[in-house]
Amino acid sequence: MSLARVYIYLWPVPHGSWPVSVRLLALIPVAVAISLALSAAVDAVALPLFLDTTGTILATALAGPVVGIAVGVLTSAVNTLRNPTFWPFVVVQVIVALYAGLAARAGLFRSLKTAVPTGLGLGVIASLTSTPISYFVFGCTTTGGIALTTALGRALGLPPLGACFFGSFVSDFGDKAVTFALVAAVLHALPRRTAARFPLALRAIGAT
Amino acid sequence: MRILALEEVTFWYPATATPALESVSLEVGSGEVVALVGRGGAGASTLLLIAAGLAPRVTGGRLAGSVTRGARAGIVLPTPWTQLSGMAFTVWDEVAFGPANLGWPEHEITRHVDRALERLEITPLASRDPVTLSGGELQRVIVAGILAMDPDLVLLDEPTAELDPEGARAVWRLVRSLAGEGKAVILATSDVDALPGVADRIIWLDQGSVRALGEPSLLAEDAMCEAGLGTTVAGLWRAAGLGAPYPLTVVDAAQRWR
Amino acid sequence: MSALHPFSLLAIAAALPAFAWILPAPTGGLATAGLALMLPLVPDPRWGVRVVRLALLTAAPFWLFLRLLHDGPTTVAIGGRITTMVASFVWLVAVLSPDRLVEAMVARGWSLAVAYVFAATLSAVPVLKARARRIVEAQRCRGLSPRGSVANRLRALRALALPLVLSALHEVDERTLALETRGLGAGVPRTPLAAPPDRPAERVARWALLLLCLAALIWRLA
Repeated sequence: MSLARVYIYLWPVPHGSWPVSVRLLALIPVAVAISLALSAAVDAVALPLFLDTTGTILATALAGPVVGIAVGVLTSAVNTLRNPTFWPFVVVQVIVALYAGLAARAGLFRSLKTAVPTGLGLGVIASLTSTPISYFVFGCTTTGGIALTTALGRALGLPPLGACFFGSFVSDFGDKAVTFALVAAVLHALPRRTAARFPLALRAIGAT
Repeated sequence: MRILALEEVTFWYPATATPALESVSLEVGSGEVVALVGRGGAGASTLLLIAAGLAPRVTGGRLAGSVTRGARAGIVLPTPWTQLSGMAFTVWDEVAFGPANLGWPEHEITRHVDRALERLEITPLASRDPVTLSGGELQRVIVAGILAMDPDLVLLDEPTAELDPEGARAVWRLVRSLAGEGKAVILATSDVDALPGVADRIIWLDQGSVRALGEPSLLAEDAMCEAGLGTTVAGLWRAAGLGAPYPLTVVDAAQRWR
Repeated sequence: MSALHPFSLLAIAAALPAFAWILPAPTGGLATAGLALMLPLVPDPRWGVRVVRLALLTAAPFWLFLRLLHDGPTTVAIGGRITTMVASFVWLVAVLSPDRLVEAMVARGWSLAVAYVFAATLSAVPVLKARARRIVEAQRCRGLSPRGSVANRLRALRALALPLVLSALHEVDERTLALETRGLGAGVPRTPLAAPPDRPAERVARWALLLLCLAALIWRLA
C-alpha cells in the first residue's frame, strides 16, 4: 500500500465528515456508553478484557474515523471522571479509531477470519502506543491489571521499559482481537436496512 | 385551511424492495383529527414520518409521489425514553429543548413551556430530573416538549401506550382541544375504542395501502371487525351473532337495546 | 466554589496537573498535590473532607505500585504528580454541574453539536450501564456462570454483548428522528437557557492562569 493510498484512506468520506448529520451526532453518545457498559458483561464472564474501545471501533466502522475519534476522546473523558489517570491514554483511542478506519475501508470486518487477525495487529500497535505513556507519565502503575503484569515482567527479569511493554501487551493483545470480533458480529447482525443509513457500514463488511 | 396533502405517495426504506407505503393519498385541514388504524407494520408509523418530513430526509430511502406541507410539524414517537434530548437535567429544560433550538427569545420560550406543562398537568414535575420519571410521566413530558414548539400539524404515534386509562383519557381530551385551536392532528393508535369520541376521520391501512377511509362509524363495519380492528362493542355484537349494523359505542348499543 | 463560572472550574482543574508536570520534581508535584487537596476544604470543610478522602483513596494504589516498581525519590516525584491529577479531577467532578457547563458552552457560542454530544454522553452512560447490568442478571438467572473454558466464556460474552450493542444501535435511529423533530438540525442559533454569569475578574484570572503555565513551561525548557 503506497503512502498516497494511506493518506486517502485516512481522509474522511464526504458525508461522514464535519459538519455531521444528526444521525452521526446521535451515534456518538451511544457508542461511548457501549464502550463503558460492556465492562459489566466482561465482569460477568471473568475474562481479562476491557472492551473499552468497542464503541470507538464500532462508530468508526459505521461512520468513519472522524466520528470514531470523537467517540474515543469522549470515552477517555468519561473514564477520566472515574479514574483521572485514564486521560493521557486518549492517544491510544485516537490511534484505534484511525486503524479501525483503515480496516473498515478495506472491508476487514467481513468475517471473523479477517477481523480477528486485524484486531491482533491493533493489539500490537495499541500496546506500542500505551507503553511510553504509562512508563513516562505514571511509572507504569496505571491500572491494577497492567501494573500487576508489569510486576510479573520485572520478576521475570525484564528491564523496566520492557516489563512495562510486556504488561500493556498482555492486556491489549487479546482484548483488541475480541473487540474486533465483537464489532464484526454486530455489523453482520445489524439489519441491512439499518446499516445502509450509516455511510461506511456496508463497505466495512465487504457488502459493496 | 389545508395543512398537509399526500398525493399517490409510495415509500421504500433503504435496502428494501417492497414499499412500506403504497399509493397513499390524503388531505388534512386545520382543526381536523385523523386516526390511522391497522395491524403492526401496516405503514401507519411510516406515514407519520413522511408527514413529519423525516422520511426520506432522515430515514433514507426513496419516495415517489408528492407531499405538500403548509405548516411546521411535530411528531411524538412510540418509545418515550429514546426521545429525551439528553441535554436537559430538569423537566422544564427538557420541554424547553425544542423551543430553544428554534432560537426563540427567552420570554417566548418561557410562555410556551409553562403552557405546555400546564396542559399536560405536569407543572409539579418541572424541576425533576427526567431520568427519574416513570414511563407515563415521561410520555407526558415528551408530548409537552413537542407542543411547546407550537406546531400546526401534530403527529402522534401510539401516544397512550405508556399511560394508564386516566392518563389516556387526558391525552384524548388534549387532542380534541388542539383541534379546537385549529391545529391538525394525525394519530396512529391501537386504542380504537377511544376513536369515536376523538377522530373526525379514520384511515384503515393494510400492508402499506389505504384499505378504507371514512367516518368513525367505519370502526363498526363488518370488514374491520373481522380484521380485529373494530371497537370492542361492535366486535362483541358481531360475535354474539346480533345483526348488522353493529353499534359503535356503548351508548349506541344501549340505544339499540331499548 | 460551585458559583464560579464552569470554565473557571475547568481552568483550575487543568492548570494544577499541568503545573505538577512542569515544575521540578518532587517539590512541584508535592506542592500542587497539597493545593489540590486544599481546594475542596475551602468552601465547606465537612463536605470537603469527603472529597479529599475519595481523592486519597483513588491515589493510594498508585503509591503502592510505584513503591513496588521504583526507588524512593522516583516514587515521591511521580506520586506527587498523580495525586495532583487525581485530587483536582475528583474536586472538579464534585463541584461542576453538567447542565451549567452545557449552558455556558451554548452561551459562549460553542457549536450546539459539541454541547449536545457532551451532555448526551453524560446522560447515556448511566442508562446503558443499568441496562447491561439487567442483561447480566437475566442471563445469570438462565444459568450464566463465570466458569468453564475460555471458548465457552467468550461465547457467553457474545450472548451478553450482542443484544446490548444491537438494542443501543437501534435506538440511535429513534433518537435521530426525535432530535430532528425537536429542531436540533435546524441550523438556527440556539437560545441559551439561564446562562451562568461570567465575571470579568474570572476571565482575567483564567487568562493569567494560562500565561503562568506557559511561563513555567518556558522557564523549565530554557
